[in-house]
Amino acid sequence: MIPLIMTNAKIEKKHNIIWRLFSSVRLTIVLLILLAVASIIGTLIPQASQRESAEFAMGLSPVWFRIFSFLDLFDMYHSLWFRFLIGCLSANLIICSLNRFPGTWSLFRAPVRPDREKPFKDLLPGQHFFAKGDISHVSDKVGQFLKSHYRKTLAKADKDRYFFYAEKGGYSRFGVYVVHTSVLLILIGALAGSFFGFEAFVNIIEGDQIDTVSLRKRDEELKLGFAVRCDSFTVDFYDNGMPKEYRSELTFIADEKEAEKKTLMVNHPVQFRGITFYQASYGTIPGKKVHLKIIKNDAKNHAITLETETGAEVKLPGNEGTFSVTGVKANFMDTGPAVQIAVRPIEGDEVNFWVFKGYEAIQKKLPGPMLMSPKFNPSAFKPYTFILEGMETGYYTGLQVNRDPGVPIVWTGFFLIIAGFIITFFTSHKRIWVRLLPDKKGISVSIAGAASRNQVGLERELIHLTKGLNAHVEG
Amino acid sequence: MLDSIILSSITFVYFGAFVLYLLMMVMARDYFGRLASIVTGVTFIGHTLAIVLRWIRSHQMGIGHAPMSNLYESLIFFAWAVILLYLIVENRTKNRTLGPFITPLAFLAIAYASFSPDISEGIQPLIPALKSNWLIAHVITCFFGYAAFGLSFGLSIMYLLKRLDSPERGNKFLAIIPGKGIVDELNYQMVIIGFLMLTLGIITGSVWAHSAWGTYWSWDPKETWSLITWLIYASVIHSRQVRGWKGKRIALLCLAGFLCVLFTYFGVNYLAGLHSYAKS
Repeated sequence: MIPLIMTNAKIEKKHNIIWRLFSSVRLTIVLLILLAVASIIGTLIPQASQRESAEFAMGLSPVWFRIFSFLDLFDMYHSLWFRFLIGCLSANLIICSLNRFPGTWSLFRAPVRPDREKPFKDLLPGQHFFAKGDISHVSDKVGQFLKSHYRKTLAKADKDRYFFYAEKGGYSRFGVYVVHTSVLLILIGALAGSFFGFEAFVNIIEGDQIDTVSLRKRDEELKLGFAVRCDSFTVDFYDNGMPKEYRSELTFIADEKEAEKKTLMVNHPVQFRGITFYQASYGTIPGKKVHLKIIKNDAKNHAITLETETGAEVKLPGNEGTFSVTGVKANFMDTGPAVQIAVRPIEGDEVNFWVFKGYEAIQKKLPGPMLMSPKFNPSAFKPYTFILEGMETGYYTGLQVNRDPGVPIVWTGFFLIIAGFIITFFTSHKRIWVRLLPDKKGISVSIAGAASRNQVGLERELIHLTKGLNAHVEG
Repeated sequence: MLDSIILSSITFVYFGAFVLYLLMMVMARDYFGRLASIVTGVTFIGHTLAIVLRWIRSHQMGIGHAPMSNLYESLIFFAWAVILLYLIVENRTKNRTLGPFITPLAFLAIAYASFSPDISEGIQPLIPALKSNWLIAHVITCFFGYAAFGLSFGLSIMYLLKRLDSPERGNKFLAIIPGKGIVDELNYQMVIIGFLMLTLGIITGSVWAHSAWGTYWSWDPKETWSLITWLIYASVIHSRQVRGWKGKRIALLCLAGFLCVLFTYFGVNYLAGLHSYAKS
C-alpha cells in the first residue's frame, strides 16, 4: 500500500485547497451524514407533495413559517441547498476517484519483482515443503502449475535459486470506481429526467378522448401530439371488497386514425410514441339520468317514481308547478350521490334543496342545525317528499403520463453498482510469490502471498496452493 | 390454522433457545450451547414449514401469493431471515456466542407479529399495486439486508461488551466472547452483506415503483429512510475502508445504522406515505 500513499501525497502538494478539500474522505463521511440528517428532517416535515402539508404549515407560528419557507423545508428535496449537498458529494466522489486512480493503476500495472524477500517473512508451516530431484526440473513444474492457475506469471532464476510471481483478480481494485461511476450515472439519469422529461396527469371519462395533459410541476398543459380515448374503465373487487384490478381500455389515435388499442393496468404501464401511461387513479362522475321517487304526503301517501335528466322541466304530480334537477354530485361530502332540486311553484318563490341517496349517512355527517336547514330537507316543498333512488354514474380513469429519457441511464447505474459491489467486496487482487532454494533436505519450496482484501481467504488459498503444488511436483 | 399455531408457538421455543444460549455463556457449559443449536435448528425447520403452509393456504383461498405482503408476514419473514443467517454464521465460525444476541430479535419479531392486537394475521388478497413479480425480489432482498444488519447489531453489542473484559475481572460471560478483532471483522462482513442486500432492495423497489407509479424515486418516507440507512452504512464502509476506523467507532455507527433500519421498518408507519399496506 506504500506506493498509493506516496502518489497521494505528491498529488496533494500539487493542488490547491479546494482540490484538497474535495479529495478528502473525511468530507465524504461528513456529507453522507449531513445528507442523512437532512433527509430525516424532510420525512418529519410533511412535504408539499403530501396531503398533510398545508395543515402542518397553517399550524406554525408566522415566524416559524417564515423560517421554514426561507429554508425551503416544505419542498426540501428540491431545494437549492439540498441539491448543493448532492452536488458536493458528486464533486467529492469525482475528485477522490481521480486522485486515487493513478495509485490504483500503478498497483495494477507496476512491474513486480519475483525475487522479493519480504513476503516470505512469517510463513505458516502449510506454506512450505521439500521437493526431491533436479531443481531445474522442479522449477519447470512449478512454472507450469502457476501458469495454469494464474492469469499473469513471472519467473526469475539467480544461479541455483528460482523465483516465481503470479497474480489474479487485478480488476478487483477497480470495483470501487465502477461503484462510484454508477452513483454518478444514477444522478446524471435523474438530472436528464428532470431536464428532458415530464410528469403529467390526465383524467379521461369513459368514452371521451384527450390530446393534452396537465404537467405536475408547472401549472401548464402539454400537447401530446396524438389523442387517447378511454373506451372503458373497470374495477374488479375481491369477495371481501378489496380492489383486485383496475383496468383501462385505451385507444391511441394518431393522424386521425386509430393507431393502437392497449389495456392499461396497475404495474403494467403502456407506451405510445415514447410516452408512458400509468394507471394512477379513478373516480366516478354522475351521468345525466336521475331516478327520483316523489311521495305526496296526504291521506293516500301516493308515490310515483320517474326518470329525468338534469335541466329538464318536469311537472309536479298535482300540477302545483314544475321542478328540475339543477345539480348532481356523485359523492356529496363522502356520503354518496345527491341531487339538487329546484321547485318552481305557480305562485311564490323558487325552492331549492338537496336530496340524498343515503339519508342516514348524511344525518350522521352533518350537525343537527344544518340538517334543519330547508336546503337539506327533502320535504322542503310541501306536501311532497323527494327521494333519490339512483343515478347513472360513469367512471373516469386517472392516468399518470410520463416521459423520462433518464431511465435507461439510471437502470445502467443500478446494474453497474451491483456489479461494482460484487467486484469490490467479493473478489480480491491476489499476488503469489514462490521461491525455490537448494537445501540439505532437498529443494525448499516456499509459497507466500498478498491480497487486497480478505486475508483469511488468502491464507486458505495459499495452503490449498501449497498442497496442489506439492502434488504436482511429486507427480 | 396450522401455520398460525406453529408460528405463535415457535416464539416460545426461540425464547427457550435464547435461554439455553444464555446458560451456555453464564455457566460456561458447552452442552447448553449444543442443545441451543439443535433447538434453534429444529425450530427453524418448523418456521420454514409454517411459511410454506401459509403460502399453500393462500393458494387454497384462491388468492395465492408469497407470504410477504403485510406487516405480519414481513415480521415472520424477518425472523426467518435472521435465524437462517445466524445459523450460517454459527456453522461457519463454529462459535455460538452470537446466539444470545440474535435469538431475541427473532422471538421478539414473531411475538410482536403473533400477539400484537394491531396486527392482523389473516391472509389478505393483494391490492393491484402489490400484484407484481417485483414483490418477492423486493421483500427478500430488503429483509435479508435487515437481517444482516440485525446480526451486525448483535455483533456490535458483543464487541462493546467484550471491551469490558479483562483477565482480572474473570467474568465467564465476557471471557467466552471471541476476541475483539474477530468480532469486529465479522461485524464488517455483515455490514457488507447487508449493504449489498439493501442496495438491491432499494433498486428492486425503485424499478417496481417505476412500473407501478411512473417514478423510480418519489421521496416517500419509507424510500427516504431506506436511503438514510444506506447513507449511514455507506459511511461505515468508507470510514473503515479508507480511513481505517475499527472497533468501537464502527460498533457505535452500526448501532445507529440498525436504529435507522428499525425506523425504516416500523417508525415510518407513523409518517404518511406510499407504503401504507405494510402497516397492518
